[in-house]
Amino acid sequence: MTSAHSKLYSDDVSLVVVVVDTNPFFWAGAALPFADFLSHLIHFVNSLLLLSNLNHVVIIAAGVSSCAYVFDSGNAYAGGTADVAETLGKASRKMEEFIKQDARETASNGTVADGGAASLFSGALSLALCYIQRIFRSGTRHPQPRILCLQGSPDGPEQYVAVMNSIFSAQRSMVPIDTCIVGTQDSAFLQQASYITGGVYMKPQELSGLFQYLAAVFATDLHSRTFLRLPKTLGVDFRASCFCHKKTIDMGYVCSVCLSIFCKYHKKCSTCGSEFSRVSMPDLNSLPDQRQ
Amino acid sequence: MPQVMVVARNFMDMVAALPAAKLDMLYDSAFICEAVLRSFPPLAKKYVIQMLYVSSPMPAAAMQEWVLDEYASKHKVAIDRLLQLRVFVEVRDRRKEVSYKMNNKFQANMQKYLVSGGCLPREPLPISVTGRLPTLVELENYALDQWECFLLQLINSSQVEKGTTFSSSMMKTFQRGLLSSRDGEAAKLSENGFQFLLMETNAQLWYIMREYISSAEERGVDPTDLISFLLELSFHTQGAAYSLSTLTEVQRVAIMDLMELGLVKLQQGRKDSWFIPTKLATNLSSSLSDSAASKEGIVVVETNFRLYAYSASKLHCEILRLFSRVEYQLPNLIVGAITKESLYGAFDNGITAEQIISFLQQNAHPRVIDKIPIVPENVTDQIRLWENDRNRVEMVLSHVYEDFPSKDMFEQCCDHARDNGYLLWEDAKKMRLIVNAEFHQEMREFLRRQR
Repeated sequence: MTSAHSKLYSDDVSLVVVVVDTNPFFWAGAALPFADFLSHLIHFVNSLLLLSNLNHVVIIAAGVSSCAYVFDSGNAYAGGTADVAETLGKASRKMEEFIKQDARETASNGTVADGGAASLFSGALSLALCYIQRIFRSGTRHPQPRILCLQGSPDGPEQYVAVMNSIFSAQRSMVPIDTCIVGTQDSAFLQQASYITGGVYMKPQELSGLFQYLAAVFATDLHSRTFLRLPKTLGVDFRASCFCHKKTIDMGYVCSVCLSIFCKYHKKCSTCGSEFSRVSMPDLNSLPDQRQ
Repeated sequence: MPQVMVVARNFMDMVAALPAAKLDMLYDSAFICEAVLRSFPPLAKKYVIQMLYVSSPMPAAAMQEWVLDEYASKHKVAIDRLLQLRVFVEVRDRRKEVSYKMNNKFQANMQKYLVSGGCLPREPLPISVTGRLPTLVELENYALDQWECFLLQLINSSQVEKGTTFSSSMMKTFQRGLLSSRDGEAAKLSENGFQFLLMETNAQLWYIMREYISSAEERGVDPTDLISFLLELSFHTQGAAYSLSTLTEVQRVAIMDLMELGLVKLQQGRKDSWFIPTKLATNLSSSLSDSAASKEGIVVVETNFRLYAYSASKLHCEILRLFSRVEYQLPNLIVGAITKESLYGAFDNGITAEQIISFLQQNAHPRVIDKIPIVPENVTDQIRLWENDRNRVEMVLSHVYEDFPSKDMFEQCCDHARDNGYLLWEDAKKMRLIVNAEFHQEMREFLRRQR
């Protein structure tokens, strides 16, 4: 690890990958209009770029059935300082295009039945980590990376395994995942993500002042975070999703070989194929304190 | 040995030393605000961002709450810096409670930045006017050549083929801190000068810029104009052409000098003439420690104390000669050896072992940079040991006490000095002791009381 650290820039130069939820099902009914949200976001990106000329910001949009890079300050500044206003304009156009494209894909997939669709955060997190790895491997020195998730829509339990895998790989490469919830409900996945990777999890009370939250908490570089009182998470929802029906469960069966989680008893593990012999124990589904 | 360090880092100290009115004037320009903000320590930057949309004064006590108690000193440093540069202004209300408010101009400029993003100080000339411009690589080579040429001229005027056109008086100002000349002798590099040569390019550049700015008044130029122009220059796009006609008179004179240093390249077209900022110029406002990142190293040190530098530059050769014995030079390679004699010569000139080691590490060749340690351990250890060899004798100002009337008295004195940790030497037979000079007063008091 030492060799990687000697390649870091001093102090506070950061690479921030912002994952933005563009789920139309969520934004249609959100308290904060998407356009306002976007302007808060652009302010925030500008303020990050203002802090140091070596700061690097990437925005990844996470839609319902796809995700994509929308903005990369590294491209925008190929020759020193370029016209930021124009590139950001381009970014919001790209964002619109992405949303349209995403809507088409969703329609053709036909998987989304009702309004409660989740955004593809597992994909977006993987993209973010890939990007960070690319930066790690290129060039002589690189900035301190971190990921910021702006999530509004509810978690998609079917992404549980993928999201957890991204979280652990973020932890391994020491990339904190910050979370700012712009929706109404807490996200168990991202609570765990921030908890495991040492990031900040926050759910702002007053969404109209989103920029102030972003600037006060999430603009802080990793170096300064050690000195500051930052918001602490009150509790973390550690519940897992089962592998068979993707339901969030309190209690379940765990494969003793590969640690896969199931909500119902199986004769054979669907992940690793080990066969279980039934031992006499009470049926989990009949326990009184079980919540789904 | 007294430690003399050339202070080159704190250009912003110079800005901070300007009178308040001038400083406020500087903040009219968004670029200067941006450069000032970027020069702050991380915590101070964070405060600025956090306070950007707060228009009423913020109580100091409340700001203290932001930081964990054990890091209060960091908070103080950040706030002091912000006050020094007048980005935060102290406000006292009726109850004498201190609050901080952000400088209005600064705040407005930064808010504008957040809304519209950064913009360029002036429009570059279109390609139709300028024709083919030098590529970035060509430009960088040009800048480094120019800079090297200047440095060579600075340290010894004999080796230079094509001199710069700096007037000798200007050159003297630059050399003031770096060369020492006794009457009738040729000027020699002073301790500062040696340390200057081992610094990275950007730090050197700032040192020269500081000298340049502080001597501005002698030339009848307002330093404020120069500072703002330099900071503005650093926000130009590297490699683009800007028309000279947009500059003021002062700036036009300054840009001629900057060309000599390699900060800009001047080109003449059919009608217009223009300047092209190089990397040196655009790095001016960036933080000093990070700017050397892209420079490729040249030095390989082997465990047998041999040193290979892949460079054709005379300057590198001169620098290596400071602390090693250069054995031979091939067209692209300088081969030397680090010897006890060569290092003693370096230590005599006031270079420290740490400086040499950090120079070797910072300029390591890409092939060895991934190794841990970059410079072989036995070499670094030996360099440090050789330095320690010279510091075996430590000078301490002290006093001798002798002719004690009785053995008793002598012993009491000894004990008293020893208990306080100031006894340096004692000779019980001849009843003499030596005590640190700091303790002399106390010792006299003690002796008087004994009588």
